[in-house]
Amino acid sequence: MKRGNIIALIVIAICFIAVPRIIVNEFYVNLASQVLIYALFALSINMMLGYGGMVSLGHAAYLGVAGYACILLNIAGYDHLTAAVLSLLLSTAFAGLFGVLSLRAPGLGFIMITLAIGQIVWGIAYRANELTGGDNGLRLPERPRPFGVDIRDAESFYYFTLIVFAIALFFIWRFSRSAFGASLMGARDQPRRMSMLGHNVWLVRWLTFVMAGFWGSVAGILFVYYNVFLSPHAIALQQSAEILLMAILGGASTLSGPIVGAVIITLVKNVVSTYVERWNTLLGAIFVIVIIFMPYGLVPGCRQLWRRIAMKVGGRKPARGTGASAA
Amino acid sequence: MTTPALQVLELNKRFGGLPATQNVSLQVMPGERRLIIGPNGAGKTTLFNLVTGDLSADSGSVKLFGQEIMDMRTPDRVQLGLARTYQILTLFPRETLLHNVVLALLGLRGLRWNPWSVLTGHRDLYELAEVALTQVGLASSASRIVSETSYGERRRLELAMALAQKPKVLLLDEPLAGLSQGERQTVRALLDKIPRDVTIIMIEHDMDTALGFAERITLLHYGEVIVEGTRAEVVADPRTREVYLGH
Repeated sequence: MKRGNIIALIVIAICFIAVPRIIVNEFYVNLASQVLIYALFALSINMMLGYGGMVSLGHAAYLGVAGYACILLNIAGYDHLTAAVLSLLLSTAFAGLFGVLSLRAPGLGFIMITLAIGQIVWGIAYRANELTGGDNGLRLPERPRPFGVDIRDAESFYYFTLIVFAIALFFIWRFSRSAFGASLMGARDQPRRMSMLGHNVWLVRWLTFVMAGFWGSVAGILFVYYNVFLSPHAIALQQSAEILLMAILGGASTLSGPIVGAVIITLVKNVVSTYVERWNTLLGAIFVIVIIFMPYGLVPGCRQLWRRIAMKVGGRKPARGTGASAA
Repeated sequence: MTTPALQVLELNKRFGGLPATQNVSLQVMPGERRLIIGPNGAGKTTLFNLVTGDLSADSGSVKLFGQEIMDMRTPDRVQLGLARTYQILTLFPRETLLHNVVLALLGLRGLRWNPWSVLTGHRDLYELAEVALTQVGLASSASRIVSETSYGERRRLELAMALAQKPKVLLLDEPLAGLSQGERQTVRALLDKIPRDVTIIMIEHDMDTALGFAERITLLHYGEVIVEGTRAEVVADPRTREVYLGH
């Protein structure tokens, strides 16, 4: 890593840590936690979307499976840690099955299968009244106390979320620069060549699917801890679509893009919506404008803009590098 | 008698009603240089695709050093020492030449499954990739992006990626296609330098360059083997003249 990057990283980390100190208002601290949870959702879907070129419209299914499993296990009397581990295992196994089914079809077929599976999970949550409480949803008895620390108030919950988010981000960052990540990106660009070079394209995609499902499930459990509640409404198609939009808006195939997308969409949804009644229209407009002027999303778009300005000002040659491997 | 490096037996492939490969049988001995010729549509590339597993055959058998590989998937065949280059360039255009070769090296290493270890930390891979690029005379272009290079350089990159894998059997699909006369000589010289422990099967139209390279020649026509033999035999055979000059 270059020195400039390390300094930038430290500054960003300090900003994240300082959030509850800067914005003391509980509403906004809670909002910051939400941003982190959605950013993790977006990061996990981007493992498939950005690096693997697989568009999924069923990512909310992991929130459904992991979330309901976690609540049900808690209600059944398991302690929080056991419930979290078991629901993660179950949801990751589900991702394995989900992947086998989805990867049977390329392109559009893939999208439709993920959509269908997402809807099946939603349908079950909605219909299986005795298990999931149907439309009324299920309540988590209480937030966990990791290592005996009380995380019921907004600030401590934010820090809890931030720690989980930071760990996930670190793993996903390593993933994006790893040897496995390189074969995944190769499989995205030239699947035929990759298999002729000895890479098992199907297995690479499937493993990515499972890893994305795992981190999506982690985000799902955080979501349940945050809301202390889960209903079918939260795992509807709109949720999957929003997560996907976050990644696309910020810039798939970059690490920071999904985070930026999550910040913007969550803020528009929760803050702007108190002032603007038609916030959905506003969100649509933002999306259209970004796609027109920055077809690869905000982060790559701004980077390109920055390079152009730097070139005009300093007359330097732009730095070379692939968009795919850049952070 | 030694086991052939590649043995194809009664291979058949139809596209709908059109037979692309009909009862093709051929044997290539270890270290041999085999040239496959034939007019457009003779089924030369199809034969390569069947050997590599890009296409699945309707019937027949393909053996690599005596081992049946017909039911194997392409990446598994590659692990046994099979490599190929494409007639239509199939590269990673947004990546550097070096990264292209690294992907080739990665294909044969367990490291490719590691989602934790940062790729650029593996200096040994990059050094090997540089060696492969030096072999084809592209060392100075290693850090250039493929889309910024010339056609001739890309052709040589194709070759570098295949050679980096140190294959036992190498399939070259028109490695000289689209090159200038000077570039042809360069690539031809490269091919001559490939050690004899690599068995090479090459499809090529440019007879002047290709004839001198191969010991044995197989002539395909409408998916069938018409003539096979040494260079002199095939050139002298009247059926060769008929296929190439008769129409």
